[in-house]
Amino acid sequence: MSADVAIRVRGIGTRFGPQVVHKGLDLDVLRGEILGVVGPSGCGKSVLLREIVGLDRPNEGTIEFFGVDREQAPRLGVMFQDGALFSNLTLLENVEAPLREHTQLAPDLRSEIARVKLEMAGLPAEAHHKKPSQISGGMRKRAAVARALALDPEFLFLDEPTAGLDPISAEKFDRLIEELAHTLGLTVFLVTHDLDTLLAVCDRVAVLYGGKVAAIGPINEVSANATGWVKEYFSGPRGRSAGRAYITPGG
Amino acid sequence: MADEAAFDLRRAGGASVLALKGDWTVDTIAALDADLRALESRLGPGAVVDVSALGRLDIAGAYLIDRTLRAGAGSETRIAVRGKHPVAQRLLELARANAKAPPKADHKPWTLNRVLEETGRNVATMGEEIIEQVSFFGETLAVLGRLALNPRKIRWVSIVHTMEHAGLNALPIIALLSFFIGLVVAYLGARILGDFGASVFTVELVAFSVMREFGVVITAVLLGGRTNSAFTAEIGAMKMRQEVDAMRVLGIDPIEALVAPRVIAMLIMTPILTFAAIMSGLMGGLLVCIFELGVSATMFWQRISDAVPEQHFWVGMSKSPAFAVVLAVIACKQGLSVGGDVGSLGQRTTSSVVQGIFMVILLDALFALWFLEMDW
Repeated sequence: MSADVAIRVRGIGTRFGPQVVHKGLDLDVLRGEILGVVGPSGCGKSVLLREIVGLDRPNEGTIEFFGVDREQAPRLGVMFQDGALFSNLTLLENVEAPLREHTQLAPDLRSEIARVKLEMAGLPAEAHHKKPSQISGGMRKRAAVARALALDPEFLFLDEPTAGLDPISAEKFDRLIEELAHTLGLTVFLVTHDLDTLLAVCDRVAVLYGGKVAAIGPINEVSANATGWVKEYFSGPRGRSAGRAYITPGG
Repeated sequence: MADEAAFDLRRAGGASVLALKGDWTVDTIAALDADLRALESRLGPGAVVDVSALGRLDIAGAYLIDRTLRAGAGSETRIAVRGKHPVAQRLLELARANAKAPPKADHKPWTLNRVLEETGRNVATMGEEIIEQVSFFGETLAVLGRLALNPRKIRWVSIVHTMEHAGLNALPIIALLSFFIGLVVAYLGARILGDFGASVFTVELVAFSVMREFGVVITAVLLGGRTNSAFTAEIGAMKMRQEVDAMRVLGIDPIEALVAPRVIAMLIMTPILTFAAIMSGLMGGLLVCIFELGVSATMFWQRISDAVPEQHFWVGMSKSPAFAVVLAVIACKQGLSVGGDVGSLGQRTTSSVVQGIFMVILLDALFALWFLEMDW
């Protein structure tokens, strides 16, 4: 079982001055799963993501990828909340940027591979030469996923992938993530507020509350054994209606 | 760690078999690109891929294999895979499904027509820019006039904040630079006038040049670099983050809230800074006069008040409000013209500084003509 742990997070403590964000947080991300991370605003979900990908350093605790330190860890793909595409480059150039930096591919092959990634993310050829400011928010998110996948990473980190999308686009986006994750065998760490995303694509959910992982497991187990905030989260009006759509038909 | 990617072309039972070895990932395939291109023609229809010795495979590798297959065996033929591999079939199909021919990029060649077209377009843009700038200037004046009639709407907090950051904080650098200019002018004067035995006129030279021109122009050029870039970047960033749109929707006039306070603050601070620049320029001159010419400080000031009419000081000072308004209006206009991307922010900030300094020098030349004709 432990061989399947892809990311092992142990005893993370994070403080910003007097404000304690995490205290003694433990979390395992299994290989090939889509893990959804939820929790109230300000509970340190995004901070945890930033710490795992190495943008921030926790005050204490360790983060290991397949038992090794982050420095030798495999490549990670990260999609930031607003996409964080380079606004002075076209979408194609955005996806090419990491390839240009890390591989010796010939320019033609590089742009062909970048095109495949954009197509996989559902962006038609007409959009490839557009700048991020010329396309819609949903397309920007797709382009951001394409860029995150540019180097074929094993891990994909998504911060609020469906925030700000209309329900139909959000659902399509959920499908895209699920499809990509399963075809490419990615391990996905997904921070979200969106219950629908959680129910539709995540294999397991982790609930962050009070600086720790308050509950973790398949979603129906977590919602069945919920207490406190977790219970409120899943049994509030939004939680119930989202749950009816997914949990009840499946049993 | 990664095994080197390699391939081998065999013929078996009438069809060619492309046997793959090693890891085919984005890191390993770079060297194979040209070899596979050369191989395409030899593949022929019915080609099969043998993946039994294939290590890791990713989308980039799958794309390269599929590209070779499509070119060699035609894009309609099914992908035929021989041997066992956990993901090869799936990834090859995924790569095929998403490999679309890129649309032909329309690269226009640089013909004479195109050069003329670009030139014409740039001239037209420049003309539009000038018209926009002038109308923005008029709009700002109208808002300032409205504020003068209704002073309760003037945002004093914002004005004082700008006065401190764009004005007071610029004082040391402006005084220092002006000091050095005064020093250099006096030094040159002492040397060159000394050749005619008229080195005592160095005092006049310093006083005339610093009061009439250098004090105010140095101040304006420095503010053009320092303040214009700051104003444009501030307003431009607000524009990019839709804060300016939010103001409009909330019924707050951006010109009243963003532009007017900056113009007013600069209108107050520029004359003060000019005065400081004139004084420290004279100090620079004084230093040279004392050490190079042996003129005492008392004599220096005495000579200035005897030989240099007061009007020169006022000529210099009178230009400063004009420069202040022109600089602040250009900076705010460029800030409000920033578009959605980072490139336009940089471009607008550059234009703001360049246009600001250009206008200062141009206006100064016009002022010089006018004051000379008026005999002031």
